[in-house]
Amino acid sequence: MNSVASLLEIFPIPTLTSEQSVSLLPLVILSITAVLVIIVGAQKSSDKGRTGAMLLSLFGMFLSATVTYKTFSFEQVDFLSGTLLFDYQERILSLVLHLCAVLGLLVNYGYDKREELMSEIYGLLPISLAGMILMVSTNHLLFMFISLEIMSLAIYVMVAMRRNSKFSAEAGLKYFILGGLASAFLLYGSALLFGASGSFNLVLISQSFERGVSPIFYVGLMFVMVGLLFKVGAFPFHSWIPDVYQGATTSVTGFMGAAVKLVAFMALTKVSLNLMFASTSVGNTAIVLVVGGIAAVTIIFGNFVALKQNELKRMLAYSTIAHTGYLLLGILSLSGSPANAQYIMIYLVLYAFSNIGIFALIVMLEKSGSKDIVIDDLAGLWNKYPMISIAMTIFLLSMAGIPLTSGFIGKYLLFAAAVSAKQIVLVVLAVLASVVSVYYYLRVIITMFMKEPQHGSGVVVASKWIGCGITVAISVFITIQMGIFPAIFIK
Amino acid sequence: MIENSSSLLSWIIFAPLLFGAVLLVLPSKLERYFRTFALVAGVANLLLALKLWANFDGFISEMQFVQLVSWIPQLGISYFLGVDGISLPLVMLTAFITPIAILGTWPKDFSKLKQEKFFVFMVMVLQTGMYGTFLACDLFLFYFFWEIVLIPMFFLIGIWGGSERVYATTKFFIYTMVGSLLMLVAIMWMVYRHQQNFGVPSASLIDLAKLQYDFFHNGVCSAVFSEQGLLFLAFTLAFVIKVPMVPFHTWLPDAHVQAPTLGSVFLAAVLLKLGTYGLIRIAIPMFPEAASYFSMMMMILGIIGVIYGAFCAWGQSDFKKLVAYSSVSHMGYILVGLFSFNQVATAGSLYQMVNHGISSAGLFMIVGFLYERLHTRNLNDFGGIAKSAPIMAIAFMILTLSSVALPGTNGFVGEFTILFGTFQVRPVVALITGLGVIFGAIYALKAYQRVMFGPVTNDHNKHVADLSVREFLAMGILTVFIFGIGFFPNTFFGKSNSTLDSYSKQLMEKVIHE
Repeated sequence: MNSVASLLEIFPIPTLTSEQSVSLLPLVILSITAVLVIIVGAQKSSDKGRTGAMLLSLFGMFLSATVTYKTFSFEQVDFLSGTLLFDYQERILSLVLHLCAVLGLLVNYGYDKREELMSEIYGLLPISLAGMILMVSTNHLLFMFISLEIMSLAIYVMVAMRRNSKFSAEAGLKYFILGGLASAFLLYGSALLFGASGSFNLVLISQSFERGVSPIFYVGLMFVMVGLLFKVGAFPFHSWIPDVYQGATTSVTGFMGAAVKLVAFMALTKVSLNLMFASTSVGNTAIVLVVGGIAAVTIIFGNFVALKQNELKRMLAYSTIAHTGYLLLGILSLSGSPANAQYIMIYLVLYAFSNIGIFALIVMLEKSGSKDIVIDDLAGLWNKYPMISIAMTIFLLSMAGIPLTSGFIGKYLLFAAAVSAKQIVLVVLAVLASVVSVYYYLRVIITMFMKEPQHGSGVVVASKWIGCGITVAISVFITIQMGIFPAIFIK
Repeated sequence: MIENSSSLLSWIIFAPLLFGAVLLVLPSKLERYFRTFALVAGVANLLLALKLWANFDGFISEMQFVQLVSWIPQLGISYFLGVDGISLPLVMLTAFITPIAILGTWPKDFSKLKQEKFFVFMVMVLQTGMYGTFLACDLFLFYFFWEIVLIPMFFLIGIWGGSERVYATTKFFIYTMVGSLLMLVAIMWMVYRHQQNFGVPSASLIDLAKLQYDFFHNGVCSAVFSEQGLLFLAFTLAFVIKVPMVPFHTWLPDAHVQAPTLGSVFLAAVLLKLGTYGLIRIAIPMFPEAASYFSMMMMILGIIGVIYGAFCAWGQSDFKKLVAYSSVSHMGYILVGLFSFNQVATAGSLYQMVNHGISSAGLFMIVGFLYERLHTRNLNDFGGIAKSAPIMAIAFMILTLSSVALPGTNGFVGEFTILFGTFQVRPVVALITGLGVIFGAIYALKAYQRVMFGPVTNDHNKHVADLSVREFLAMGILTVFIFGIGFFPNTFFGKSNSTLDSYSKQLMEKVIHE
């Protein structure tokens, strides 16, 4: 008894208001769901286990999304002076992440049986979702690290889940080792920042600039940036992306590419807003130069290497590097006005659904085994599967930024923000590089619509799984709807 | 503030799309009636356009039939449509060309059609894009439609084109994208500048016209790299690629030769005009000082286009390529006219846009007729067709004469007005451009002679079927326009006068003021 009392003295149980506890409830629900799912999934019949796990996981995520939706009526909820902050933006993002996770889960239906995925994948999804929600709500560097780990560890396992493919194991291992390194950078950087400013809280750190900026701060900032740039896949830290995209369990790739990027960029946005562009005493020009340089190289590298890819997933992997580059332009635009942060967010959200949609299509088109879809395999797809071809075209055009799709709106907003921050040269470079991207996206469309299948190979056979179908339908709807009526989403 | 006066323009823009949506749910069994459906849609749109024409007040120089709906208010983007004397003739051109083109490219054998539903749907989307670009009064909306035009054209060339269609369509798409993306950056900068100057962002053309951009006259370098110079060049690049101006014309022969006839007709008759329309609507009035500074350069490039295009056309043995290069040549006149900064020449450019639309559409249809009958486009395979197909020969003659600008045809009205206006300010330019008329006659008459007259080298040519009723109807309507505009230009263009007047006056004021 004594020891419990002394523990309570050291760690007092915080008194929570009802709003605070409701705001935390989604995280609790997701964690409990994850544990229950893993228990339910452990059945003798793996089929039954998977179905039960999936339904339970879906239920848990719906419940958590409903609770999140209810919290919209609350004012901003704050924990431990800004360590966790649930405001309007966080709630919107949280809902979007829920939707991403639900879509990412539906994609597995059918695919899980063919590739003999373990039922645990349905438990890992809510865990990673909880990590993501935590990540977008925190302003605290240590919380950021912890939530990043919660999210990443779950995803490492999901990536390596396709056990009958050796590439999957390779991808998981590669992602794990390099990701661990990046986390180490982030953690070490946080420690240095703490040393330089006396706080882990980004807002408090930015307030400490009034007392002067110590040189250690820059080292710490650099380390934190390296860690986050790794997660988003910017140029010198991009090398994991192609292999992970290619090898990962395909049903997870879309969710991983979309949600991890979204979350990591939101963290990067917070770091940039509070540490890089908050105060003039930090020395803007050098940072702008470095980030701008990274952005330029990332854009050029991603687009030009994607040009030479023959495998669809590798091409998308390099194109996602290019998109990271565009988003870094958005990060630069924060130097102009902090309000530009919302454009980064919108781009990420819109890109997320195109990405999830296109990978759902790839899941449907992929054959069992380790052979990947080469772009030429898609020849004649239009004649055999017109709906799949049209959906694929919409996603590709969205990624290329052609009007009528959300990708155009995202790009317009992001580049307009960069223009307003006077980054004209970089924007011109980005749009010229995106002409290159148009070429390789068009290549896929041309193959689907205008080429005949080569003799002997035949057209690919699509598996018509209902889960993938729903995911694609929802993604197409969002892509077109946001492409024509984006106003509801912009503040 | 502008009052919403009508939703007619929205109907014109989206009626094709509505018809297209209906088409999508029709069963594929009805495939052979899809063209009829497209024709009905085209005629319905023509009726709407005629209603617009009838109600358009020719004494007002401002935008009419305005519709203004807030779209993305946070960025000052609105759904803003309007029509004035400059866009009216082009809208009418599109409305007339669509049914004519569908009639003139009617497939002979419906059993051999490839993906007919998708084809007709793409033609519908293309119309929406074209009308939208001509009627948009908001830069963002303009860009939106401008890009939408690309997608159906990309599929039209890529799926139903000739043997090199993939190469041609990729080239077409990429070329246009380069220009238009730079234009997009320029649009972003203008919207941002409006926010800086007036506190609120706006992409409306009327609001943006109030902005002043810095321009420096001392030296080419400072002119290019001044704000207005860069903006002008960004817009102009996008537009002249579409026109196309030499040296950005290389996509055009490929695209034309590979495109199906209907695609070629739309490409030549309307899509090329999007470029010159952009110049007359945005690039020149928004950035008058830069436009006048670079006017000599643009005119020289226009002249090069006129003469180089004519020589290239002369040298072709592929009939379709010949017509394609003739477009390069004819569009050069429009550039010269626009950049001579003379009221008469500007009006002439507008006339020429419509006239070239009519004559080139007809010529491409003739190429299509011959190709369908003889399965060749090589001039050496033709010859003596006038004997077996006299009506086609007459139609082709009229189109050729219109193309070489014979007095009494529409071509004369456009080219003569341009040369006349240009001569008043830049006599030398007008003189050299005038040479183009001679070269134009050389290649056009050469083509006519090789196709219609001469010895019959190919046995097939003895039994060429003459025009069918549908083809005759298409050619007949074009002929009516050729002579109608040729003899009574004011009936057709009278409603544009007051807009052109005030357009030129404002432009002159701005340029001379500097």
